[in-house]
Amino acid sequence: MELLPQLLINGVIFGSLLAIPAIGFTAIFAVLRFPNFSVASHATIGAFAGYAANVWLGLPTVPALLFAFTTAAAVGCISDEIALKPLRPYGALTAAIASIALTIVLENMVRLGFGNDLRGYNLPLMRDWRMYGVRVGPQQLQNLILALMIMTIVFLALKFTRTGKAMRAVADNPELAELKGIDPTFVGRLTVFFGMGLVGAGGMLLGLGTSIDPLTGFRFILPIFAAAVVGGLGSIPGSVIGAMVIGIGEELSILVLSATYKSAVGFFAIVIVLIFRPRGILGERKF
Amino acid sequence: MSILNRRLFLGASAAALAAPSLLGAQTMPIKLGSLTPLTGVGGTYGPSMRDAISGVINQVNEAGGLLGREVVLVSEDTQTSPEAAVRAARKLIDVDGVAAILGTWASSVTTAVAPLAWESRTMLMCVSGADSITQLPHQGFICRTQPNAELQINTAGEFMLREGATQLAWIGRQTPFAELSIHVLEKIAAENDFGMDSLIYEADKTTYRSEVDQILRSNPDFILLGGYAADTVVLLRDLWQAGYEGQIVGPAYAVNPSVLDTLPKDVTEGVFTWEGAPAVESAAYANVQQILGVEDVDPYSAQTYDHANLSILAMAAGEGTTGDTIQSNLRLISQGDGALVDNAVDGLAMLSGGINYSGASGPCDFDDIGDIVGTQFVFKLISNGVASVHSRT
Repeated sequence: MELLPQLLINGVIFGSLLAIPAIGFTAIFAVLRFPNFSVASHATIGAFAGYAANVWLGLPTVPALLFAFTTAAAVGCISDEIALKPLRPYGALTAAIASIALTIVLENMVRLGFGNDLRGYNLPLMRDWRMYGVRVGPQQLQNLILALMIMTIVFLALKFTRTGKAMRAVADNPELAELKGIDPTFVGRLTVFFGMGLVGAGGMLLGLGTSIDPLTGFRFILPIFAAAVVGGLGSIPGSVIGAMVIGIGEELSILVLSATYKSAVGFFAIVIVLIFRPRGILGERKF
Repeated sequence: MSILNRRLFLGASAAALAAPSLLGAQTMPIKLGSLTPLTGVGGTYGPSMRDAISGVINQVNEAGGLLGREVVLVSEDTQTSPEAAVRAARKLIDVDGVAAILGTWASSVTTAVAPLAWESRTMLMCVSGADSITQLPHQGFICRTQPNAELQINTAGEFMLREGATQLAWIGRQTPFAELSIHVLEKIAAENDFGMDSLIYEADKTTYRSEVDQILRSNPDFILLGGYAADTVVLLRDLWQAGYEGQIVGPAYAVNPSVLDTLPKDVTEGVFTWEGAPAVESAAYANVQQILGVEDVDPYSAQTYDHANLSILAMAAGEGTTGDTIQSNLRLISQGDGALVDNAVDGLAMLSGGINYSGASGPCDFDDIGDIVGTQFVFKLISNGVASVHSRT
């Protein structure tokens, strides 16, 4: 049990990083009403765009993060327009399956361009700081601060800007929003732009502490999905809470389970939520 | 027309109809399959493993082919995933009708593909290390050029003792050789009255901080890594950030050049790697260097080069083009008192006098269950981001 404080810190940091792509995933679900599994490849694209900005262009972390956001957002809009939007009238399941196909295509395009090799960001690596028997990495702390800043910007934008209010309106009731003069198609595009941008930024943040390869995003898809489901599909505050539950749960699980079963925490959380609270911790549409 | 005549007529007609296909079978290309990890965690190695096979086939075709026929390569991708590998193997066996499947890399992949191979009597040559693979009821249709895991871990354990270890630890991902690795290391620790701790982690995670915290509780002074490159790069970084000051040894396929390029030099400083030593002084190794156009040939490409040569020579020795022919004649051309040859083109010319193929990965001698024997190992020490030879066994 002496590991408990350390595991809690590890879990909070992982959960906060996981929250960024989970917000993107759940925002897209709230507005477009289908689970867009191509977040996996968009996280990869964001991670590689950030890598290109950081290593090839020599940009520091924050500008590289903006580049990752913009690239993933642009790719998200284009790929949605070409591959997913035409299929959305056929139902959520069709669009969800198409998004799986899309993620495979995009992942292989990254592979075609960058190859299979592992790549690391050009950032100085520092030993962890130790305080009161627990350790925290400077890079981790920076990532945590960046993740919290992004989350704050997202919440403020949704609450106080016209675009954010329009998104919330469409998520809450698309027909009523249209009657009020809000174009749901335009809001859908905006949501994909910001959603995939967040996923791309999240992909880079998650990649900063490790290395990246074309499978980077694929590794996050289960925890991202689990976070969104646990928090309540379509609920942005819920996705943050869900990400924390998954992040902390995965880390704490090694106290009682073999580390081999870490991912089972995500599945287990989904099962528990579906049994006792099918709409998630906060319920859906709490945009 | 009498009944006899009708029978004769029908027989002659059937023969006439069948003749083109029979003649065609004699002129059809001979197919070999490569099933390497072009993508996934083994994707660093797969393309060059395939290219080494392709290079051998090109050389054989330029020299007149095999049994008067062209040899063609059908390449598929395992994606380093057992599920994808099984689909690809089914295609190679059922659609392409390959005589042999060459170059399966991950032990989990080889284990999944193995039953398909022996049930269809297709030869399977792999570079996987899990001991369980050659213990399968494969009827001689599996052989490997990679030393088995028990031999590898024993060799690494003895190295750790030589380097002064007193408290051992093994940390690696879930693989078919994980349990065995722990067992071997525990045995070594018990024999020497050392402590030993182990942890199997889940593959494909982005951080192993908590796992590192857990394994470091036993204060190991030497850690043996048991993962692949993608997770090892995360693990090495996490160990360094946690302030671990002891020694580390990892398999060369996990601490590979890609990992060294990715990580800052400080993180990999002083890390040891070990691997089955390719026959770097051999003409076969020089041939692979030329085929791939590289100075340093990875051990797996050296091994798949040997797979292609062994398959072709075994088919030539048995004058057949099936997996059965390769299975029956593999040891006839790979070991014994015949003339030493290091490539299929020379071997085909000298076959009648008896040959013993010795390739780029070593002597290529196999025991009864298909394990390679006589493998030597090389240990390398990483300094300033570069791995250089430390010692050999």
